[in-house]
Formats: sequence, C-alpha cells, structure tokens
Amino acid sequence: MLAIEYFEVECPEPLGAEYYRQITNDVLLDHNLLRVIHKIHISIDPKVPIFVAVGILKKITTRVRVGDFANVNPLEGKITLVISDETYLAPMLKIFWQKFGKDHVEQPDRFTVILYDVRAELKEIEEIIVADPSESLYKDLIYAFRCIAPEGFRLRSEKFSKEKFSFVASENTLPENIDEIVREKFALMGEMP
Amino acid sequence: MTLVPITYKGGIYQHDIVTDLIEDLGGYIIQKHVIAAEVVLQCFVPRDDIELIRQISKPLFGEVTDTPLVGTEIAIVSMSLEIHHLPHPSCDIAEYVRRIGAKSNMVSLARGPGKRIAGLNDEERDVINEHDIAVYLMGNFETCIEYKMPTLRRGIEVPIVLCGGPDKETLKKIIDPPVDGYVGNVGRFMRRTKEADEIGKLDEIVDEITRVLEKKREEIQKDPLSVSPARLMGLIKEKVPAIHAVTSPTPLTVQMAGLRVKLPYDTFARDLRQLEIEDGIKLGDISEIVPSRMRDYILVKILPFSETNTVI
Repeated sequence: MLAIEYFEVECPEPLGAEYYRQITNDVLLDHNLLRVIHKIHISIDPKVPIFVAVGILKKITTRVRVGDFANVNPLEGKITLVISDETYLAPMLKIFWQKFGKDHVEQPDRFTVILYDVRAELKEIEEIIVADPSESLYKDLIYAFRCIAPEGFRLRSEKFSKEKFSFVASENTLPENIDEIVREKFALMGEMP
Repeated sequence: MTLVPITYKGGIYQHDIVTDLIEDLGGYIIQKHVIAAEVVLQCFVPRDDIELIRQISKPLFGEVTDTPLVGTEIAIVSMSLEIHHLPHPSCDIAEYVRRIGAKSNMVSLARGPGKRIAGLNDEERDVINEHDIAVYLMGNFETCIEYKMPTLRRGIEVPIVLCGGPDKETLKKIIDPPVDGYVGNVGRFMRRTKEADEIGKLDEIVDEITRVLEKKREEIQKDPLSVSPARLMGLIKEKVPAIHAVTSPTPLTVQMAGLRVKLPYDTFARDLRQLEIEDGIKLGDISEIVPSRMRDYILVKILPFSETNTVI
C-alpha cells in the first residue's frame, strides 16, 4: 500500500472496516489501479446503509509507444521488432496493418515482427502510440468500486474527473445531501471536492 | 456392523484388489475417481476392518484416510453469483469440503445480497431443504447479518452452519433463535485462500460441519433407517440399467437419509417404487419417492424403522 499516500476505511464496525480495507486493497491490486490512486477514503455505514468512496487520482500521461516494449532493428531494407511485452502486440499489429498494409508486415513468431519495404525512419516507428491506458481508466475505476462496495448497493451516484472521484452507493434511495457527505469525506483527506 | 466413511487414494495398478476387498467386507464404494494414474475411492467400510484395508493396500502404496463427510450432500449457500462472492470464498469452501468427501452443491440466491432487500424464494428454500446441511456464507457486517438472517432461514429445516465476518461470539449473540453451527471471521474476501491461516479457517468450517453432521448421524442412529442409502445405491446400480447412461459425475448422490437419483421423475419414479430390495419388500414401501426441485431428478427419502417396522 506504499503507493497510496492516504488510505482510510471508516466504519462503525471496526472488524468490518478491517475487512473492507483488505477487500479494497485486493481489488485495486487485481485491477492494477494502485498506481493511479493518490489518496482514497472509504466510508461504510451498514445501518443507513451507505457506501462512500472519495479519492484523488495521480496524473497519468504514460502513453505506450512502440519503443517502450519493442527493440527496433533496421537491417537490409527490413525492420525487425523484438517484442519484450506481448500486452500491446495486438493493437500494434493493427496499427501497422493500417499504416503499412498487411503485405509489409510479417510475424514469424510470438516475439518478432518484421516490416518489409517500409518508408519510415527508425525514430518514427519507435514513437508510434499504441495505446493510452488512461482511456479505459474511468471504466476500470467504476468497475473496481462496484466490486468493492457491498453487493446489494445498486443505487449509485458517481463522479469521476481527471483528478478526483467520488462514488456513493446504497440499497435504498440515496440521501439528498450526497454532495455534503462527499465534501465531508474529502475534508478528512484535507482536500476539496 | 458400524460402517464408517473413509477415502482410499492409491495407484490405479491392482486397485481392484482394494475394491474387491471393500465389497467382500460388506462395505460400499460411493464414488470412484480415476485421475491419470491415481484412483480415489470414497467408501463406507466396517469400522473394525479399516486396519485390514490399510495392511492390504500398503504394498500398493495406497493411503487410507478418515473422511467424515463421505455420503453427505452439502448446500453451500452463496448470497449471489456475482464477482463479490465468487470464486472466493464460495468456490473455495465448496471445493474444500469436497476434498473431505462431501458432495457439495452451490446454491446461489436470486435476491440474497443487501440488507433490507435480501430474500429467499420457495424454490431456493426447497432446494436447500433437499440437502443434509446448509452452509450460509454471509458478509462482513453484523448489522446486515442480524437483519437479514431471519428472512434467509425462513422455512429451512436442515441444520445451518453460519459463516460470517464478525467473530464467533458476536455471531452467536446476534442470531436468534440459534443455528446449529457458527464459524466467525469468514466473511466476504476477494482473494484465494492459500495462506496457512486461511486454510486453517477452511479446516474450522469443515470441523464445524462435521460436528453438526455427527449430531445428526447420532439422531438417525436412534431410529435407524429402513435401508442404508449406500446399499440402496448399489441396488439401483444393479437393477436400473438406465443409471449407467447418465453422464453426471454422480448419477446417484448418497445423502445421510436418502438418495438423489439423477433420472427423470416421470419416467422412472414408478420403476423405482416397484424395485424389490429383499423378500418382496419394495423400495416404495420403505421410502418416499418424490420429485426433486433440482432439475427433474428423483429424491428418495428413506423412512426410519419406527414408520416401516422394517430394517433390511
């Protein structure tokens, strides 16, 4: 949990808070979201019942480029790419097919891609953007909080912006003063919504 | 002759020596799994002959272990089929009790989660009641467990073992009237049970189930069944050839006081009622044959001696 500066779970039942802390940790870890969260405060009151999660996100500008996961070697009219991480192989091939055409792209094995007769500089290929993980970030975060929240809590109100997020859920109609509750929780972290 | 449940694990080579021995001693093989070159037999054998089976299986490198849950069918009641409860902890627990010989079924409730909104419908209630015991896997908050438990146990006649996040004492305090068993500190969690303390918790659940089932076994022994479910299983296998065409892993599921026959009720119920067990006594005379709420299976509920005046 070192990656998160502030991580608190608040609940009238201390044992319940401890379990939810563990669940939050496991879910965020499983979804690889610990790296994007800077501060998080979760509050659960099973008596009301209500689940509130508020937090601050880290700025993520890491667009994935070909050079980040492949070694690009030009040799005698062809360019050989040695892939070290397969995660972005499929979107990379898709971009190559669109850009250069299928006739010029060959994949002899899992970790090698060869480009034939391509009029592009080495630098240019290395700089091609393959994926932007931040695009699916909000979707992933909402899914993760749906997993963390107690299951019957199907009435939700969620706000996700570039820097901050709030997620309120309950099985009953949400209270009218949600904004106030969210503001209180942000204040506990020393932040403003 | 008291039959006790055991599991035999050994190589496939010459395992028929062991199967023949168990049958000759008057025991019954409930399930046989052949996994690659290994064979696992779940069986009932006479208590006095366990040592003999151990001796004979020694040259075959076979291992005999006590598995108290053989011959029981357990309902693992999960609050829903969502990611919140599956695969951990529901599947972990269901799988773990299978290792100790039980046949576990996961019963997932349509409207189990939440506090105020939790409910149990008649089909779920009947399915749970078809088992020997129900293991309720609840959440982490005592407020919710206390609130929803009266609804979720309404109409349940089988013993209940309650697992939940709060500790055992708290669970005992909030459940009124009490259930048969409690296991605390096992609520909702989102990771695989593989650490020593987590496996210890699973063992605790198994111990609690065993304790409750032992009590039920003692109750049954006070008024013994007209026929042993294991024996009935052998008879049906012998006399109803259609059971061999069933592709289910356990076409006949042995319970403590009955048997689940995985054949269509409409087609086979009459044949089963007419099935002669011994000396003209038919299965219909000593048991109730009813349709199961689980698919179109047949449920054979064996009647006790006090009702039939017969023990075979």
